[in-house]
Amino acid sequence: MLDALLVAGQTTSAELISIVRADEDRTAAALQRLLDLALVWEAPGGLRALTGVADAMRGMPGLVSGLRPSSPEPPDPEEVAARIAELSPAATALLHHVADHGGEGTTGAARRTVSPAEARTPAEELISRRLLVPREGDAVVLPGEVGLALRGGRTTTEPVDDVPALATAARDPALVARSAAGAAFDVVRRVELLLDHWGVRPPGVLRSGGLAVRDLKAVAAALHVDEPGAALVVELALSAGLVAEAAVADGTPSWLPTDEFDVWSGRPISERWARLVGGWLASSRVPSLVGSRDAAGKAWNALAPELSSGLAEEARRLALEVLAEVPEGEVLAVGTGVASVVQRIGWLRPRRPTVFSDLVAAALGEAAVLGVSGAGGLPPSGRRVAAGDLPGAAEAIDPHLPRPVDRVLLQADLTAVAPGPLETEVARRLHLLADVESRGGATVYRFTSGSLRRGFDAGWSAVEVRDFLTSVSQTPVPQPLEFLVDDVARTFGSVRVGHAEAFLRSDDEAALAALVHDPRARTLGLRLLAPTVAIATSPLDVLLPRLRELGAAPVVEAADGTVRVSRPDLHRASTRRGRRPAGAVEARQAAQVQAVATAIRAGDRARSSRPAAVEVTHPSAALAALREAIEAGSTVVIGYVDSHGATGERVVDPRRLDGGRLSAYDHRSDDVREFAVHRITAVRPA
Amino acid sequence: MTDGPLIVQSDKTLLLEVDHPSAAEARKAIAPFAELERSPEHIHTYRLTPLGLWNARAAGHDAEQVVDALLTWSRYAVPHALLVDVAETMGRYGRLRLEKHPVHGLVLASTDRPVLEEVLRAKKVAGMVGARIDDDTVAVHPSERGNLKQALLKLGWPAEDFAGYVDGEAHAIDLAEDGWSLRPYQREAAESFWDGGSGVVVLPCGAGKTIVGAASMAHARATTLILVTNTVSARQWKDELVARTSLTADEIGEYSGAVKEIRPVTIATYQVLTTRRKGVYPHLELLDARDWGLIVYDEVHLLPAPIFRMTADLQARRRLGLTATLVREDGREGEVFSLIGPKRYDAPWKDIEAQGWIAPADCVEVRVTLPDGERLAYATSDPDTRYRLASCTHAKIDVVRDLVRQHADQPTLVIGQYIDQLDEVAEMLDAPVIKGETPVKERQRLFNAFRSGEIGLLVVSKVANFSIDLPSAEVAIQVSGSFGSRQEEAQRLGRLLRPKSEGRSAHFYTIVSRDTVDAEFAQNRQRFLAEQGYAYRIVDAGDLQAEA
Repeated sequence: MLDALLVAGQTTSAELISIVRADEDRTAAALQRLLDLALVWEAPGGLRALTGVADAMRGMPGLVSGLRPSSPEPPDPEEVAARIAELSPAATALLHHVADHGGEGTTGAARRTVSPAEARTPAEELISRRLLVPREGDAVVLPGEVGLALRGGRTTTEPVDDVPALATAARDPALVARSAAGAAFDVVRRVELLLDHWGVRPPGVLRSGGLAVRDLKAVAAALHVDEPGAALVVELALSAGLVAEAAVADGTPSWLPTDEFDVWSGRPISERWARLVGGWLASSRVPSLVGSRDAAGKAWNALAPELSSGLAEEARRLALEVLAEVPEGEVLAVGTGVASVVQRIGWLRPRRPTVFSDLVAAALGEAAVLGVSGAGGLPPSGRRVAAGDLPGAAEAIDPHLPRPVDRVLLQADLTAVAPGPLETEVARRLHLLADVESRGGATVYRFTSGSLRRGFDAGWSAVEVRDFLTSVSQTPVPQPLEFLVDDVARTFGSVRVGHAEAFLRSDDEAALAALVHDPRARTLGLRLLAPTVAIATSPLDVLLPRLRELGAAPVVEAADGTVRVSRPDLHRASTRRGRRPAGAVEARQAAQVQAVATAIRAGDRARSSRPAAVEVTHPSAALAALREAIEAGSTVVIGYVDSHGATGERVVDPRRLDGGRLSAYDHRSDDVREFAVHRITAVRPA
Repeated sequence: MTDGPLIVQSDKTLLLEVDHPSAAEARKAIAPFAELERSPEHIHTYRLTPLGLWNARAAGHDAEQVVDALLTWSRYAVPHALLVDVAETMGRYGRLRLEKHPVHGLVLASTDRPVLEEVLRAKKVAGMVGARIDDDTVAVHPSERGNLKQALLKLGWPAEDFAGYVDGEAHAIDLAEDGWSLRPYQREAAESFWDGGSGVVVLPCGAGKTIVGAASMAHARATTLILVTNTVSARQWKDELVARTSLTADEIGEYSGAVKEIRPVTIATYQVLTTRRKGVYPHLELLDARDWGLIVYDEVHLLPAPIFRMTADLQARRRLGLTATLVREDGREGEVFSLIGPKRYDAPWKDIEAQGWIAPADCVEVRVTLPDGERLAYATSDPDTRYRLASCTHAKIDVVRDLVRQHADQPTLVIGQYIDQLDEVAEMLDAPVIKGETPVKERQRLFNAFRSGEIGLLVVSKVANFSIDLPSAEVAIQVSGSFGSRQEEAQRLGRLLRPKSEGRSAHFYTIVSRDTVDAEFAQNRQRFLAEQGYAYRIVDAGDLQAEA
């Protein structure tokens, strides 16, 4: 209506009504409403839209009809029709093309000012008859009146007051309710499973704020859903406030279940579901975009903060409202149903950007996953959701959800089957004792020695395990399971590990017992492990003097069991050589001669052995060779670069190798010297 | 929420509560498309697999029926994604059809052009098809019929084979039902096979697979090639056929390492067919020696890979596979599906047992404790010799003696993996032993003696695992197995599951060394037994002696 007015510019109400392809009475009523809203006013020359309205409506989405406003002084419709009739077939085709594609085009080489007679190309024909109006550059636009003429004097080719019908099919309402409840149960279970996982192994938060693709894949695998499905579950948890960003112990920001999650998981399934639905309805998140690429070609990550749209909420609400119009006993038809909803909403909200229809389609898909809708229809619970009554919805869905069970069936193949959702307490305990093999409406647990050991680790005893199994089982506990429990219990803890600073052993059991029970030894933390063995929590250097004080005469054992003689180590430094008193020239000369002789001899030895032995030059091999020499106490020749950069060979007996230094007896200097390992260029046996 | 007996899990397993009043009906409804994975006492687990769904499709069930069955019997709502997946998977079967074209011979046709385009673009298919006849049809080289089916299955678009079969050389074969008659399930199995054209019949050991084979031959009334696992079972087939059909001994030929006869009905061993000399299979021509109208594969799950390749060239002949289990340790179930055919008949063991055709078995695991010396030896040994050490402990031999004494008047088999151990047991029990090196003649003599009751105790190695009919065995004592193979367990149990006189139940003892890998493997095997629905007990060797 408003659209038509803008196309027509200033006009009379009769004319306006005539160009809208719709029932006249309804058009008149719509016009009256626009007048009441003061979006249209009766100017002296006829009806006009408010100036602002035109600006607002000429924004990005453009006019619904795709027509441009008429030229300021439009010719008569008859004349326009006559001009169109004169056109060549090529020009008519071009005109229709422009009209169908937004009423704008470019002319290229066409001349702007030509008379109909001179026109050579179809474009020129159109311009000359003012069926296209040139604008800046080589752009041309189709004036409104021409568009109207092409569409038979109306603004649209289709009637605008026909509400697009919804494609529906009959379906048993009970089935709708059941499949919705099934989906609802599934989604609650998945969210719970997801957060259980994340509580133990939280995924990191990307620097951009989302969830890594790898983590999403892991979620998809764990939940048995595809990746978009996993993204939806993750996003639902977020919008329900069950997951949030927090730093874990080592400081990395991670996605963690919130404390709300603990409250939530204690609630009945229907309430948990209502909470998820509530979060979803009010959220601006767009999970459907996860995995698609943005304008820059970058894939969207789940939980990324940018992944929201102001329109998402409206799209969901509208989708549910439209869905609620489908009468009970009918559902959206398979295939065409969703498209028809999208179309209807497109008609209801004509001026939304094109992404809006994607959002609506996504909202319908999400509603199905959430169990708000089922099999394409709204069950009573879904209708309450559409009406905004979440507690009522929870109440309505409750009878359709599986009842929690507190019993399982134990079987001889070491499985336990819970034929429904288990009560939280039982589930938690069973989870400890057995591994989950299959999830769904029912849960299959498998007992293995590993899973039972986990139970024992958590402090259960074999009797407790057996009592628990008997208490939760509907059937007698199968014998193989009992055997498994006993087997695990028998081996569990048969080897014990602990921490001690020192041990005491004695063949004299009485003496050891006396020592352990001596009140004066209390501070030593002695504990008797066996009649002949005790341990102490005090280190040896505290323990030894104390024991001596207590009258014992302990002997220290080395790691290999040999007795170590306890004698304080005597510290000695090696006598420094070469510091002769000044003036002893002869002595120095003699020493020099000797040094030269030693060096020559060492050199001789180096030379004589050179060709026979294999020289190792690779650093790691050299280290190995040096270690070997230390072990064997043998003599090797090393190539060495001294601190002046000069290379030489030394005949040495390696003694110790650590901290990047080799200490070795140097035959030439007749002293123990330190060599930097990185300066050793080669090693070969002497 | 309804009160159905079935729970559909989102990981495509179906849990069936056995004690539910409508469990039987539900089982009937889901059996055609779901594969029974395990059947312990309370809840049976079925699994939906693409192969299973395609098997169902081949048997004429459609997705609507499957979905309907799931929705009808399910206690809780069925996950929507699963239903969609079922419909999609089933929709894939039969989009492509192999047909006989009056002009072009064998063709691959499709009503779904994109699918045809997709598979034609696949590299694997490229060499197998010929010229495009029209948009929806493409010629297929007749020699590639089997390979093409295999390739298409791998691509996820299994083709339906409508190209028909050659009739083969006619040969009159009738069942000689004098004093016995086909059991209902045997008749059903043979008929389902015949209606389906080619395919596999799954029946437990002892349920009379040979008879199903004979009945199918009577349907075909044509020359038949029977492929079996070994010579002993070849002789058994021969005896059985002579007894049960109008065939005479002269009409049946044996084609094995020792004898090479080609007669209207020829029984060949896998081994002789797969013998290779200088890179060629010299006995392959047997497959073309006559115009066979039917080829029977005994123990399909053991079919060696070269036979698969040969089978690919035999697609124009009717093929019947007989087996106790479709589970192949090598995971080649898909090849059985595409080359021999879909499953045509299946009956869970427990059902047949309940009908009284196979003896109920009492499965007992006897645990022995390794003596301290052996325990130390075990702990310090290499991982690859551990199993042998644990299996061959002397403690087991005493238990065997006790068990044999307990069942003194019942025919007993002692089964084992390691020859040394078997020799030792045989010596101690003073019983004959059958192992790989025992000549066929001697084997047969011993088996016959055992069958007739002359010998009450036989020690056998794994050569006895397959197809040796010892219906009189009432007690089996397993002293060692081959690393927990499920298939082996099925075979060994099968030895015992033949109908017993006076309705006595069979006993199946497994002797296991406690706290060793032996026990771990035993757990695997026993899981299989429990999954098959046999309640098994565990007793301590000490308690056993006290009992005795």
